Amino acid sequence: MSFSIEDSQNSAPGSISVNKLGAGRKGPDAGQNAAKRLQTELMQLMTSPAPGVSAFPSADGNLLSWRATIEGPDDTPYAGLTFKLSFEFPSNYPYAPPTVLFRTPIYHPNVDFSGRICLDILKDKWTAAYNIQTVLLSLQSLLGEPNNASPLNGEAAELWDKDPALFKTKVTDRHRDVEDE
Amino acid sequence: MYQPETAAYIQQVSSGYGIAHSLPQYTFEETPLGLSSGGGGSGSGGGAVGGGSYGASGHSHGLGGPGTAGAGGGAGAPGAGLAGALIYTTPIFSTTRGTVGPASGLGAGPFHFHQQAQHHHNGHNQNVNHNHIHAQNHNTIATHHQSVSPHSAVKMESNTDDLAAQEAAARDYQPQPEGPLVGPKTPSTAITEEYAKGDPIYVQKTMALPQTYSHYRPIRGDGSCGWRAIGFGYFETLINRGDKALILAEKARLESLNDYIEKVGGMVLFIFQDMADETFALLQKISETLDDRKQALADLMDAFNEPQISDSIVYHLRLLASAWLKGNREPYADFITSDRGIDGYCESNILANHREMDHISLNLLVDVLLKPTGFVLEVVYLDRSAGPQVNTYRFPEEARNQHPSALGPMIHLLFRPDHYDILYPVDMDLQVHRVASFSHNFQIAPDPVALQDYAAPDLQVLSVIPGYSAPPPGLAPLVDATTGSPLTSYTSSPGSPWMSSPFADPTHQQHQHQAPPAPIPISAPAVVPLQAHPLRFSEYCQLREYTDNDTWREPTFQTTTFKNSHFNVAHYNNPNFQPEEYKPGADEFENLSPRSGGGRKRGSV
Repeated sequence: MSFSIEDSQNSAPGSISVNKLGAGRKGPDAGQNAAKRLQTELMQLMTSPAPGVSAFPSADGNLLSWRATIEGPDDTPYAGLTFKLSFEFPSNYPYAPPTVLFRTPIYHPNVDFSGRICLDILKDKWTAAYNIQTVLLSLQSLLGEPNNASPLNGEAAELWDKDPALFKTKVTDRHRDVEDE
Repeated sequence: MYQPETAAYIQQVSSGYGIAHSLPQYTFEETPLGLSSGGGGSGSGGGAVGGGSYGASGHSHGLGGPGTAGAGGGAGAPGAGLAGALIYTTPIFSTTRGTVGPASGLGAGPFHFHQQAQHHHNGHNQNVNHNHIHAQNHNTIATHHQSVSPHSAVKMESNTDDLAAQEAAARDYQPQPEGPLVGPKTPSTAITEEYAKGDPIYVQKTMALPQTYSHYRPIRGDGSCGWRAIGFGYFETLINRGDKALILAEKARLESLNDYIEKVGGMVLFIFQDMADETFALLQKISETLDDRKQALADLMDAFNEPQISDSIVYHLRLLASAWLKGNREPYADFITSDRGIDGYCESNILANHREMDHISLNLLVDVLLKPTGFVLEVVYLDRSAGPQVNTYRFPEEARNQHPSALGPMIHLLFRPDHYDILYPVDMDLQVHRVASFSHNFQIAPDPVALQDYAAPDLQVLSVIPGYSAPPPGLAPLVDATTGSPLTSYTSSPGSPWMSSPFADPTHQQHQHQAPPAPIPISAPAVVPLQAHPLRFSEYCQLREYTDNDTWREPTFQTTTFKNSHFNVAHYNNPNFQPEEYKPGADEFENLSPRSGGGRKRGSV
């Protein structure tokens, strides 16, 4: 009789596919979609670059790790300075935001001394419709329009309004060129 | 249909809901005071206060923290202090629990901690407690704490640190959503059980739920559940329609909407091309495997549980809804309160990752995805609103006040505050099967009479054998089981719908070969009149509706997954279904359910 076969599949109704659920194509090609998306973005950045920002995958050939630069906008304390940043993309990018750090030391109300950035679109306001270029442009505008209501660097937030000249000095003092890794 | 036992639930409810029995004890164990004298008292006191207050104290535990800390420091909120005063239980007063008990419900959060401190008092000075029980002012209590028992105040402060740490941990805690992105179809009685100890309104509503919706499909609560549920329901409904042309037409329609997303939605194509492509690829895939509905559904499940594909499709839906809003600002403008207008709303409420679907988004997605196809969305709201049953609303609005038969295929969602799951109405399996059977020739039974009468003649043939006495009714199927032929499983399935005539003759012949001395003509079975069942499979075979009506045929309660197996819960929809009683040790138990043999067989063809 075929009962032996039947019994071996004697799972509760509706539960058969539980095992299958985890058995998707998770392991090997995790990050493959992210890499595909990043390749598209790279192409986009090269064909239609935005002024003042640039980005490129880091030299080690890992597409999930990028280096970027932002030029300080004119009419801000950062004018004439260039800032280097690092982008680390999660394997489920663009469904999770990249981790973005300032590698160049920067004196800014929304950046701490380790280069960590407080920007809502890099946290809970992230959407998959953003991309490297929009992030860089947002960061560029953050340089000229800091959010002083929620500072990471309280002193900078205070000085921004109180003493622009001292702020500018601190910016210049803190800025240092960093070597590429 | 499984009917939950009313009595059982009521009992549980009356014993108090949301009880975390371990909670008070946990708190006491953690007390750093190590009270030897008060420890026992606190344990029994905590236990004796009764179920009513436990749930409350458990929930507001963290909230009550700061107030408690203030009590120790001497500057707490008056409210918390009052609660604390009322809660004091001493060995003396524990005998008058009746008066203290009800008030303790108000105490909620600070409850445990005050008790700790207070028990400490017990050790030092019983008289103080008399004062405390009358104290109505929080500051008074705090003073007592400090003056009479400085030690306890110190300990309270150490609790403050714990609390601060706990609060910080609670603040930083990111709940990890559990379970598959799209779970398996589950009997909705599971929801009833889930709420059995909950609020009476939920208990009542969830008990009524399985009568209308037999199954539900859990969706992972990661913030995209509403989008994912509608997306999955859309694909599943397309599969169940079984119309390949419709799927391809939908694919073409959504492809044409790429332009809409780009022009009206203001998205750059390269950003969303990959996401939309996943939707199109899945539509293409299910259109190809549509003939094998089971395979198509399996493909759908796989795709929706593969995070990359699933998230892409969900995001594509978000993009569609967002573009639709930008293209139809008029009707929605007044409902959008975002200070950044419609564009800002799209960015922060529709497109933001894992942002839960709100009512506007739901309407938008229905309008852009379901309405043009004629699909209707019905949302069942399981909340604390009054009424014995859940409230349901249909989208689009035109579909309300219309009879379901006048509407297109319906996707059902279960909404619990902040979460969506998919629901399946009771007769879903049946409908699905009917649709499927049209596309599978083999499931159309050629002759109902022949089917109906199929197994019975065999047995009558056997009964003609000299010395062979017909077995008692209950054991009848054993005769089939003992023959051991793989084909016999067909004969033992009287209601099996896919038994077609080509199978009939070989089986019969085999049967007769195996029944030792019975050279009876093959044509014999056909002569047996339908009404004259010589042998009953069950008492129900003799019911008038079975015997008087020649055209009657057992309806097929099947799903593709379980076929006709007795494990198939679709059989519960059979009005004549009679659960088999399990008797441990009765070997014939297995043999009494021979029908599944047929199902197995069929599945392997």
